[in-house]
Amino acid sequence: MSAIAAKPGAAAGAFQPVASLIAIFFAIIFIGTAYWLLGSFGCLAVEALIGIIIGAALIAFGVHFVPVGGAPAAMGQSPGIATGVAMLATGAGLAGLFGGAWAAHIGLWVALAGGAIGGGLMMAITCLMVNISYVYGMGIPAASGKVEKDPITGDSQPEYKSQGTEGHGLPFISYVGGVFGGLLGGLGGTLIYIELLNFYNVILLPTSEGTNALAVGLAGIFAIGMFLVIAVLSAYNITGTIEGPHDPKFKRFPRAIVAAICASGICGLVALLVVAIF
Amino acid sequence: MQEIIIGIGVTAFAGALAAMAGAAEDTESNIGSQGDPNSQVQLAPQMGYTHRIYNKAVSGEPPAYTLWVTLACGIAWAFTMLHVNAMLAIIFGTVLATFVQGIYATTAYLGRTASLSKFGQPVFIDVLKSVTTVTMAHAFVAILTTVAACYLMSTMLQHPFALPLLGIVWGLALGAAGSATGNPYYGKERQYQNQKFGAGVPISASGNIVRYAEAGQRSSIDNGFFTAKFGGPASGLCFGLIVFLELWRTVLFEHSLDNWGAVGWGAVIVGALIIVLFMIIDRYVEIWARTNYGPYTAEA
Amino acid sequence: MSVKVEVSHDGVPHNTVMMKNGILALFFLYIAIAAASVAGDGSWSYPAIACVSGGIAAVFTLRWGNSTIKKLCSYGIGTGVPSAGMLAFGSGVIAMLFATKVNPFLVPIAGLLVALIVGLILGWISNSVLNMKIPVMTRSIAELAAVGCLTLMGLTAVATGDIGYDQITTGLTDPYASYISAGIIAVAFILGAIALQHPFNACLGPGEKQDRTDLLAIECGFLSMIVMAVISFAFVSQIAAWISFVIALIGWFVTYRQFFALSKRDAAAWLDAKPFSDAEE
Repeated sequence: MSAIAAKPGAAAGAFQPVASLIAIFFAIIFIGTAYWLLGSFGCLAVEALIGIIIGAALIAFGVHFVPVGGAPAAMGQSPGIATGVAMLATGAGLAGLFGGAWAAHIGLWVALAGGAIGGGLMMAITCLMVNISYVYGMGIPAASGKVEKDPITGDSQPEYKSQGTEGHGLPFISYVGGVFGGLLGGLGGTLIYIELLNFYNVILLPTSEGTNALAVGLAGIFAIGMFLVIAVLSAYNITGTIEGPHDPKFKRFPRAIVAAICASGICGLVALLVVAIF
Repeated sequence: MQEIIIGIGVTAFAGALAAMAGAAEDTESNIGSQGDPNSQVQLAPQMGYTHRIYNKAVSGEPPAYTLWVTLACGIAWAFTMLHVNAMLAIIFGTVLATFVQGIYATTAYLGRTASLSKFGQPVFIDVLKSVTTVTMAHAFVAILTTVAACYLMSTMLQHPFALPLLGIVWGLALGAAGSATGNPYYGKERQYQNQKFGAGVPISASGNIVRYAEAGQRSSIDNGFFTAKFGGPASGLCFGLIVFLELWRTVLFEHSLDNWGAVGWGAVIVGALIIVLFMIIDRYVEIWARTNYGPYTAEA
Repeated sequence: MSVKVEVSHDGVPHNTVMMKNGILALFFLYIAIAAASVAGDGSWSYPAIACVSGGIAAVFTLRWGNSTIKKLCSYGIGTGVPSAGMLAFGSGVIAMLFATKVNPFLVPIAGLLVALIVGLILGWISNSVLNMKIPVMTRSIAELAAVGCLTLMGLTAVATGDIGYDQITTGLTDPYASYISAGIIAVAFILGAIALQHPFNACLGPGEKQDRTDLLAIECGFLSMIVMAVISFAFVSQIAAWISFVIALIGWFVTYRQFFALSKRDAAAWLDAKPFSDAEE
């Protein structure tokens, strides 16, 4: 993303069982607090908060699929897309949110599917243009640096890697990973948005137009804010770059999901309380 | 029917605007040297290569373009509230956003370059004057077209989001698409033009960017000449396709399956088919490269 | 090949910067609230005070946040500096809107507390669950959430002349035109996020100097205030908007010129239309 790409001092270790249990415990406390504080709207709030948490977990999982190479990718030194992981995932997720919000009046499932497809479509086009740029613009074939064979197509990778690099471009597994990450991001973002929107619509009593502009404004900015928080935390988890689902770093995703559950628990709780308390 | 005809027109126009935005965005970010390739511009003086390349380290392209576009959207909205004509309001918003972009660009160049004093990298005032204005001009095109597309979505297609929220969504997507497609072409192909064609830059060559132009010393404007030939149009195509297909599948197909009881699912199914189509094209491109370029052979 | 993050040794310690700017920011937010609460219909002087002090509060908060970002990012957090700004405002916006619901005179304190709680949890998650093992992580993310919250309050005050929930959710003419429902909060959000991360991101390098980075934070604050002041024409009386716009413009211009002077002081050379001389030639 920017010139800073220094690796963190601590080697990113394994799953943290104790801390993860505490985090899950916190999340349960947040859900309980929502039920207790919101009185007559308790059940609705719990339902909304659980939806938000599921959405956040989907986003955190999805970020790990998006192949991002950071600064070295811009020099063809490592595979992946040459930009920041948090921002690329957010770009896809918000493109999905655009589609999902547009279809929100039709129904929950259509909106969710529309959001997922929106995010997937954005990544499908972007990843294709990345490969076209590498192949037809710079004459470089795609090669992964982390695996010998592409797990989907079975193409061997090392001999297509140019000298002195860790690979370049997007092998098919990375492409599929990118699309899948976009799908999950769009799905999660839309789920957060719709849960918030429905809750605000009940509490704020919508105007005759059906959709209350205030509810849309609140749900929109909160969905974007929460998406950014989850995406940045997930980016911290993979320390900036990842090749896709075949990368060894992908195995770190359980940590990010636990983190997303806890983080979205507190953010979602406060976001619900904005309209429902006092 | 009337609605769909208007919708198709708006879709096509928004897609065209987005294509312009993508092309201008990539050219702007390459002239200013923003995003990932800028790490090499930052690195070069530390490796002993003084240069005259701009150093527009505002942030990555996605957050930066989110700011410019959202800003222009917000100001355009405020002016329409003051009963200014919408077209004029969009231009006012864009002008102010371009001003903010220029200020951020200059402070980033001055800040980064001054902090490199240890390596003897001077601040070039003529670079500051000439390059900043050129990036502002390209940014103006990119912002104006994106805000216009957002305005169309908000008013003609009745998207529920308010204009600045659409600005966040499409500004971020613009930056993400432009940086993803355009960065490698600037970073690998232009900054390291002296390296072998058809291969990645060896890690050992990092920092040794090309610093001389056809005549004299290269400034960032020379990079714009180059990337505008491929990176810019490719980014434009990328963002244009994203906006166009996203709108097209909804406007045209959202209610196509309503008679079969699947209300609203038409857009989803068409979107899924498009994704599969792009996947097939990508696989074709990958195989084409593998068969035509072949594996790298060991250096003699 | 990545660039190493190097920061200068601070002349002024972070805790001093935090206390000084945090207290000043709260002070100016309270002036804004007090001015907004006594403002009557049609008057312009009190709204003008509210707008201007909101902007100054945002400037002080950004100075605090800039110092925090510098402390956090000197460890190398694996992804760019801008992401820290996004995290700060993503959690800050939620805390800020929650705080607007309480009694007007509790808004800044409530926002600060809620943001610190949310930030502490997020920081603890990054450090323990994600196992980043950065000593200042928990504290820094808590501080950043608070900075995000207070900056948004300041910028909101510039645009609307008030921070209360009722004021930012009801429009002047139609319900679609309030600060929230028209999405202007999104402008404040991204404006603050970039202004928070920019000073350190723009000045990083071995020659980074605390006073120059700090000055850039002030400049970014006033630049953000200019934009919000232009938007405020849609919310507050024309005279009040003009006053805050002109003050923001003056503040920005003075700090921008000062920044040029400091850059000239720190730069290796200041050349106009001269080529570089290559040591190897």
